[in-house]
Parts: sequence; C-alpha cells; structure tokens
Amino acid sequence: MRKIILKAVLLAGVSMTMLGCAVNETATVVVKEDGSVTQVIESKSDTLAADLKIADVKTAFVGGLLKAQVEIKNGSGNTLNFQYKFKWLDKSGFEVAIDGRPWEPLTITSYETKAVQGIAPNPTVTSFKILVQD
Amino acid sequence: MKLVKFFAVIFAGLVLASCASGPTVSYGDATAVETTTTGFGSTDLQSIAATLVDDLISFPPIVQMTAQRRPVVFVDKIKNKTTEHIDTESITDSIQTKLLQSGKFRFVDMTAVKAVQEQMEFQMDSGMVDPNKAAAFGKQTGAEFMLYGNMSSIVKRNDDTKDVYYKFTLKLVNLESGIMEWASEKEIRKTGEKSFF
Repeated sequence: MRKIILKAVLLAGVSMTMLGCAVNETATVVVKEDGSVTQVIESKSDTLAADLKIADVKTAFVGGLLKAQVEIKNGSGNTLNFQYKFKWLDKSGFEVAIDGRPWEPLTITSYETKAVQGIAPNPTVTSFKILVQD
Repeated sequence: MKLVKFFAVIFAGLVLASCASGPTVSYGDATAVETTTTGFGSTDLQSIAATLVDDLISFPPIVQMTAQRRPVVFVDKIKNKTTEHIDTESITDSIQTKLLQSGKFRFVDMTAVKAVQEQMEFQMDSGMVDPNKAAAFGKQTGAEFMLYGNMSSIVKRNDDTKDVYYKFTLKLVNLESGIMEWASEKEIRKTGEKSFF
C-alpha cells in the first residue's frame, strides 16, 4: 500500500518536472548604427543567464542590408536546448517587420560556441536585437 | 489496492492538467516553435522562408546584380515530393513577400493573370472606361528570372521513434539564358519519440 502511494507521488513529481509551466525569458543585445556594439543582456532566466554568453557580435552591410552574426557560448557542462529570434530595428528604434522571423530552436553542447546569422528584412534596418528563450 | 492505483492516476492527471485548466481559448505567438507532431508545421515553413531569403539576398553575384536594379521574377510551383499534403504555395508566398520587402526584387504574379486579363478586357471592351485612362494591352513586363524548387522528405520509423527529414531546394534561373544563377537548400530533421506518459 505504502509503496503504491509512494509510486503515485513519485509519478506526479516526475510528471510535474517534465511538464513544468514554460517560462520564457529573453536576453537582448543591441548593436548601434555607428558600428559600436552595445550589448544589453536582459535575462531573468537562471539557466540561460548563468550558462549562455554572447561571445562575439559581428555586423556588416550586404547590398545595403544589415547582416548580423552572433556567437553564443555555452559556458556550462550541459547541453543546452533553447530558442533564439532576431528582431530588427530602424534608425529611430522602431521595430521593422514585426514577427518577420520565427523563433528558431538551437542546441549547443557543453562549452561549445555556435554562431547564428540573420539578414535584415530591408535596408531601413540599422540595429538588431537577439532574443533567447528556454 | 486497485482503488489506490485509480486515485494515483487521477492525482497524476490533475497535476499534469494544472497548467491549463478548463476549456479556454488563447492567442499564441505565431512565430513560436511548434512541436505538436513531426508533420510539416509553421516553424518549418517560417525557418525555410527565413533561411532561403537570407541566402538569396546575401549571395555575392545576386548582391551585385540587385545593387542598381530590381530584377523581375516569377514564382513557379514548388514540387511537393513528400508523403504529406503540404501547401507549397504558402511557402513560396512567404519567400516572395520577404524578397519583395527587401527591396531587391520585383515579381509578376502568375496566379492573378486571369483576373488581370478580365479587368483589362472590361476596361478595353465594355465601353464603360475612358479609353485614355484604360490600362493598355501589351505593356506588361516580362519576368527575367524564374524561382522554383522541390520539397522532399525521408521518413523512418521504428516502434517508438519516428524520424522525419525534410529538404527544401529553391533555384533561381535566368529565363533567357537558362543559366541557374542561384540555388540553396534548407534541411530540417525532426524526431518524435513515444512518450512514457
């Protein structure tokens, strides 16, 4: 009897851990127009804030369109699964093509650095943000 | 004994359902990663469009070509060679919209030819439109390039795992010379495992 109750509690516990209630947190990096890179990392997510680091940000203009590359480093010993998304901003800070890009899943193994790239949807874009959520 | 098991299952079910109780309708993020099944989904469509458009507008010869002018393109069908029913026009619509928004390309819409023709016939033949203001026949621009492609899939499964691999190929061909100016592929792998619960 006791064993079964224990099993039930265990089952409930495991299912809770597996399901969780998805918490979306974001990390933001803003690149200024004059080429200087201002990184503003806003993250409330413990795992991502502690383990993920923006190792490098590169920007260039390809045919008038802003091309961005962000190197994301996994500083932990665990493989991390998360999603990222680019947001594009014009000179005045208005977001361009809202929801133009999807959240894209990414897996980074322990201590690995992966680069993600994006190209601005049109020539008015002068800076961007990258959002990360677990 | 059985009763306890029964209650254990009910309890587990309640815990599982605690996140969303009751029949509620809510709006979600249209760009969120969707993993309901291994079938072709919105995330696949969006990532295919984003990747291929990025690739096309940053390909050096295309950058050079579109620096001074906006070539006219027409979109042919994407052959769906997968085992699923996929609305490939929806994918090409997304790609076309993004390319148009980039300001690098212009398009002629072959899906609207009939409607355009009817409207022009109305303007020319009905006698209701001022001939000076009617759109004249034979003035449309011909496309310089054709965008077309293929979509294929490989599906493998065993008792508890299903693996789906999609490959989307897009090509840009110069209609006059027949030269393929650009081609790119996007691959997607999805694995579905039977859950214990």
